[in-house]
Amino acid sequence: MGRRAIVPLKYKMVIPLVLLLLAVLIYPMGSSLLVSFQDYRLTALRERHFVGFDNYLRIPRDARFWNAMSNTLIFVSSAVFLEFVFGFGLALLLHRRVRMRNFFRSVLLTPMFITPVAVGLIFRFMLNSEFGIIPYLLRSLGIEVDFFATSPLALFSIVFIDVWQWTPFMMLLLLAGLESLPREPFEAARVDGASAWFTFRKVTFPLMRPVIVVAVIIRMLDAFKVFEYLYVITRGGPGNSTESIMYYIYRVGFRFFRMGEAAAMSYVLALIILLLVFLEFQLLRMARST
Amino acid sequence: MKRLGLFVSFLAVMSLAALGAKTLTIIMEEVPDTDVIRQLIPEFEAQNPDLKIVIDAMPYEAMRDKILTEFLAPVSSYDIVIVDNPWTDEFAAGGFLVDLTDRVMALEGYDFEDFAKPIREIGIYEGRIFGLPFYNYALAMIVRQDVFDEAGIPIPTNIADYVKVCRQLTNKEEGFYGAAMQAKRGYKIFEEGKNYMYALGADVFDDEGNIVINSHLAKAALHLYIANLEAAAPKGAINWGFDEAFRLMAAGKAATMITYNWMLPSLNNPEKTGELAGKFAFYEVPGGKAVLGAWYWSIPRNAADIEASWRFISWVTSKAVEKKRVILGGAPVRMSVLKDPKVWEKGYGKQYYLTLVKILEDAEPLVRGLHAEEIIETVGLEMNNAAAGIKTVDKALDDAAKAIAEIIGK
Repeated sequence: MGRRAIVPLKYKMVIPLVLLLLAVLIYPMGSSLLVSFQDYRLTALRERHFVGFDNYLRIPRDARFWNAMSNTLIFVSSAVFLEFVFGFGLALLLHRRVRMRNFFRSVLLTPMFITPVAVGLIFRFMLNSEFGIIPYLLRSLGIEVDFFATSPLALFSIVFIDVWQWTPFMMLLLLAGLESLPREPFEAARVDGASAWFTFRKVTFPLMRPVIVVAVIIRMLDAFKVFEYLYVITRGGPGNSTESIMYYIYRVGFRFFRMGEAAAMSYVLALIILLLVFLEFQLLRMARST
Repeated sequence: MKRLGLFVSFLAVMSLAALGAKTLTIIMEEVPDTDVIRQLIPEFEAQNPDLKIVIDAMPYEAMRDKILTEFLAPVSSYDIVIVDNPWTDEFAAGGFLVDLTDRVMALEGYDFEDFAKPIREIGIYEGRIFGLPFYNYALAMIVRQDVFDEAGIPIPTNIADYVKVCRQLTNKEEGFYGAAMQAKRGYKIFEEGKNYMYALGADVFDDEGNIVINSHLAKAALHLYIANLEAAAPKGAINWGFDEAFRLMAAGKAATMITYNWMLPSLNNPEKTGELAGKFAFYEVPGGKAVLGAWYWSIPRNAADIEASWRFISWVTSKAVEKKRVILGGAPVRMSVLKDPKVWEKGYGKQYYLTLVKILEDAEPLVRGLHAEEIIETVGLEMNNAAAGIKTVDKALDDAAKAIAEIIGK
């Protein structure tokens, strides 16, 4: 009788999780990595073949990829910065003991609960130069604005919509951070006669730094996926001025069915995002050490 | 008592048949023509108690990738697909669609030649039939007839006159525009702007298949299009699609619109345009030749029961059913129906259908071929670049020509 190897219980316990991860994460990622090295067109699957790094080598010469990447970086940095500023401001206000605090919290969270496609459609018509309420009100003040007709403004109009929808999310995370801060440093600052601004700069902000980094990373990762607003409002126009990287990859992969190229672009995008996240953590570490 | 017994037995048989009926699922776009099909389905189901039709209707944008995903499955969950004209060659060449040629030719009284020539040709790939015409969306010029009559301006018949008239009728201070335009990048601007190209004799490819989108005629046409956009349309139209342009027209704020011919009944419907209803008329696009769009009934190669699917599409595209469909408000594709006095009487009147006959006689799709979708998107992007002032007309169309060469080479 042969001896059976005994698998310790702790390993047995993680087997379901490992299998689940293999099925939903590792397999699709491995499979798409394989696709990125092939001439893989959904309409000509019989002709698919290995092309090595061709799909990756095409990317540096693809002006539309870099235009979309640049639009996305402008979008992400502007939107996340504004959401952080407004979100932190609102979190500080709601952290105080104001009347109807819970009511304000609930109202301010409302935009988050609307699906982004609906938000896009709402703003598409609210900002429409002929029928929209906002251009109408601005016109009555003598201001003529066409939010989606010109090149830089169209992208910033999309930023504005994102800020409207996702500032509450930033506010929620930062408010949770503020409420979990220890009271002692604030009491010490008050006893020492520190002003509100000084307390914010020297106590609140440094203590909040880890929460801020996490909040910014979460929002940044989400903002990189901007798609719905562009899909229903501008389709990337005028010209390419609002084309985001996700929208471009979607077009290559799911409108033109060139999955090999789309997969390679997705991996390059993933690497760029990983690099940005790494840089943010490095900045946090440097800030801590100083 | 005997009659009651017979009736109960009939009901029981029908119920059993319904319980055992095979379901045919069709992917369709959520448009008025799909509603017309919904009205016809009970008749088909009564004639074919073993079949039940289920329509999965969705927005246009969701259809292309959904259809292709089903083509790649072992068995398609759609028994019938409707295919837009830029996709027909691509899907047929990919081997995803059932070749219907022999079935069509064997069907007595079907008369495939009765479909308007430019429409039926789109469903044919390398001499074989892969799609049967469903409805057309050829472009026409819809005008506010009262505005033209009051101003004493004749309806323009060439594109230069059209641009001139649009400018003449525009009064931006009062919020009235000569043209409700849709210059959103991609399909929309190309669909509208290519009528200007046709009017000047320009195209994407010449008869030998050479790329001529950057010819001087195409550039002149784009200049005219941009001139009209700047002088006679709202500024925001650079990013407008159909919805916005239609709203402008329906709100009585525009004198003309180059759009789908079947929008005329909608605009003349008092529920949609109130007092303006009846004041809209339609004509051939200036220059005569129009952009042609059309949808097709096709059967996926991996459909579960190809014969059952064929039963439905051969029925719904037959002469008799086409006539009913058109009377119910569907867009016609058969010449016999377009010229049928009964259809004129029960539909939108003789003038409407005869104008449509003229339009369909000289209409051509945006682009054909295996890369039609990508070429349309590319040309539409470059036209929008020129219209937005991001590129000059010369540069935009030269870039479009280069991009098309690359796409074809891929």
